[in-house]
Amino acid sequence: MTKKKRTILYIILFIAPLACIFLSLCVGRYPLPIGDVIKVLWCGIFSDGDAVPHIYQTIIWEIRMPRALLGSLVGACLAVSGAAFQGLFRNPLVSSGILGVSSGAGFGAALAILLFSSVAAVYPFALVFGILAVVCSYLIARLYSTTPAIMLVLGGVIVSSVFAALLSFVKYVADPYEQLPTIVFWLMGSLASARYSDIFVAGVPMVIGVVGLLAIRWQINVLSMGDREAHALGVNTMLSKCIIILCATLATAGAVCVSGVIGWIGLVIPHIGRMLVGNDNRVLIPVSLSLGACFLMLVDNMGRMITGSEIPLGILTALVGGPFFVYLLKKTKGGGWA
Amino acid sequence: MTLISVSNASFSYGTRSIFDDISFSVEPGEIFCLLGPNGCGKTTLLDCMLGFHRLRSGRIHIMGKDSVKFRPGRIARSIAYVPQKHERTFPYTVRQIVTMGRAAYLGLFEAPSKADLRMADEVLERIGIQHLGNRPYTLLSGGETQLVMIARALVQKTPVMILDEPTAHLDFRYELIIMEVIKELVKDTGLAIIMATHFPNHGFYFQNSGVSTSIALLNEGRFLAVGSPESVLDEKRLRQVYGVTTRVISLPTENGSTMKHIVPLSTASWEAQD
Repeated sequence: MTKKKRTILYIILFIAPLACIFLSLCVGRYPLPIGDVIKVLWCGIFSDGDAVPHIYQTIIWEIRMPRALLGSLVGACLAVSGAAFQGLFRNPLVSSGILGVSSGAGFGAALAILLFSSVAAVYPFALVFGILAVVCSYLIARLYSTTPAIMLVLGGVIVSSVFAALLSFVKYVADPYEQLPTIVFWLMGSLASARYSDIFVAGVPMVIGVVGLLAIRWQINVLSMGDREAHALGVNTMLSKCIIILCATLATAGAVCVSGVIGWIGLVIPHIGRMLVGNDNRVLIPVSLSLGACFLMLVDNMGRMITGSEIPLGILTALVGGPFFVYLLKKTKGGGWA
Repeated sequence: MTLISVSNASFSYGTRSIFDDISFSVEPGEIFCLLGPNGCGKTTLLDCMLGFHRLRSGRIHIMGKDSVKFRPGRIARSIAYVPQKHERTFPYTVRQIVTMGRAAYLGLFEAPSKADLRMADEVLERIGIQHLGNRPYTLLSGGETQLVMIARALVQKTPVMILDEPTAHLDFRYELIIMEVIKELVKDTGLAIIMATHFPNHGFYFQNSGVSTSIALLNEGRFLAVGSPESVLDEKRLRQVYGVTTRVISLPTENGSTMKHIVPLSTASWEAQD
């Protein structure tokens, strides 16, 4: 890729999420004209004028804006942690949930709904159990003094299945008329309840995680050479691995606890990024961030518009992501993969 | 100045001893060949020098300093490593792979600078593979990959390079290409090489090209002999270590001197060894 093309690509990737946010403000059950949306934004930022109907301001600032912002954050987090884990585990088929963070968070959320019959306790429970699951996977891998990647993945598989079983148990004992539907809908993933307070609470771990991964992203290249070679190249593999796992877990757990379990983004988005800019994580991680944010906002917009009631995000990302992934497997077979 | 000195080194996995009481040292501009049958402990010995394992007893000094407490970065600024078998994963470009050799000079949150990238390009040119720079390295041949690995080790700018069986799996021509690259590097830059190899003739090859060469014959965890190729490699020892009947012959070479060469004739029965 020439330098000029690359610059253009970066500009596009920078503008695209902003454009998606703007699009999210316009579309929905109550479509707003572009001109009015601009007016509302202008007034909201620079003056308190009442040039547009009050209802427009409520829709944009209270409903669509927090939802778009949260969607972009969640999409970015899932995609970036997925890309980081794929590099760290040297495996293009892993995603952000590989160490059990999603299953742990899912169980935590279900437990909170079971115990308190309300959604208020869901965030802390989901966050704590998501992180706890990763800690368990890590401790399992620590049975081997060097924490090899394959043991981490194996630990993640074990922990995920244990939490999946626990989740089934919670569903089994939950009240089938009140609690069970809440649990099921939460697990399917949604941004419908997005409020600014969510962004501030869950945004902290998400931003810390993503910033950490952005900072350490070149080391992921070196770690993807395998522990032995990374060590011989002078990398403190234990420390780097810990930081990457910690950051990716914070980002994913933060995302899952506000949005539910949204699959596919952490798997598919990094691959789209690779097709666009190659495998260098120095470029791939920021590109995944931008693409993940755009993808989730677009899917969320689709979910809001296709039918009268909203389609849960987890369903749509899989329906869009699944066929795409098959196409990708077919396409990349000859594209340099060993 | 002695670059690496290993004294009375022993290592064991649990109770199984891998090697015992090994001592040697390596000077600048020297090639040190570790020779021995499969499973004799060559790779483990190299791993100890690289800090992957800790010795059970004994010392490894890197440029006069005991390396036991060295961090990976410090070792990687003294010893570069070319692995026996590189497992390819993501299709990075050759230039990206070679640039990773700078990791030991970069902080945890740092990325390679323009100067680092320039260094990578210089090394690619020096090895003669600058035309491969933008190719995905997963599509290279085994020989080309090995050159890329040597380039990555060179970018580490170390006084010592460890190669673990660098010519295993290579074709007739690439084996020689790798040997020539190693020879040129030692002659031009005074790099010291420690390499494990399965080919006794490599020692004669290096010696014939005017490089100071030592051979260590490792058998069952101990050095059977250490010294110049012709003093170490004789028919008796090769029979003892490998159970192979050989003949050492002398050949006239292009530059008028003679070069020794070992020709394997047949596997000898182990009972008939002594």
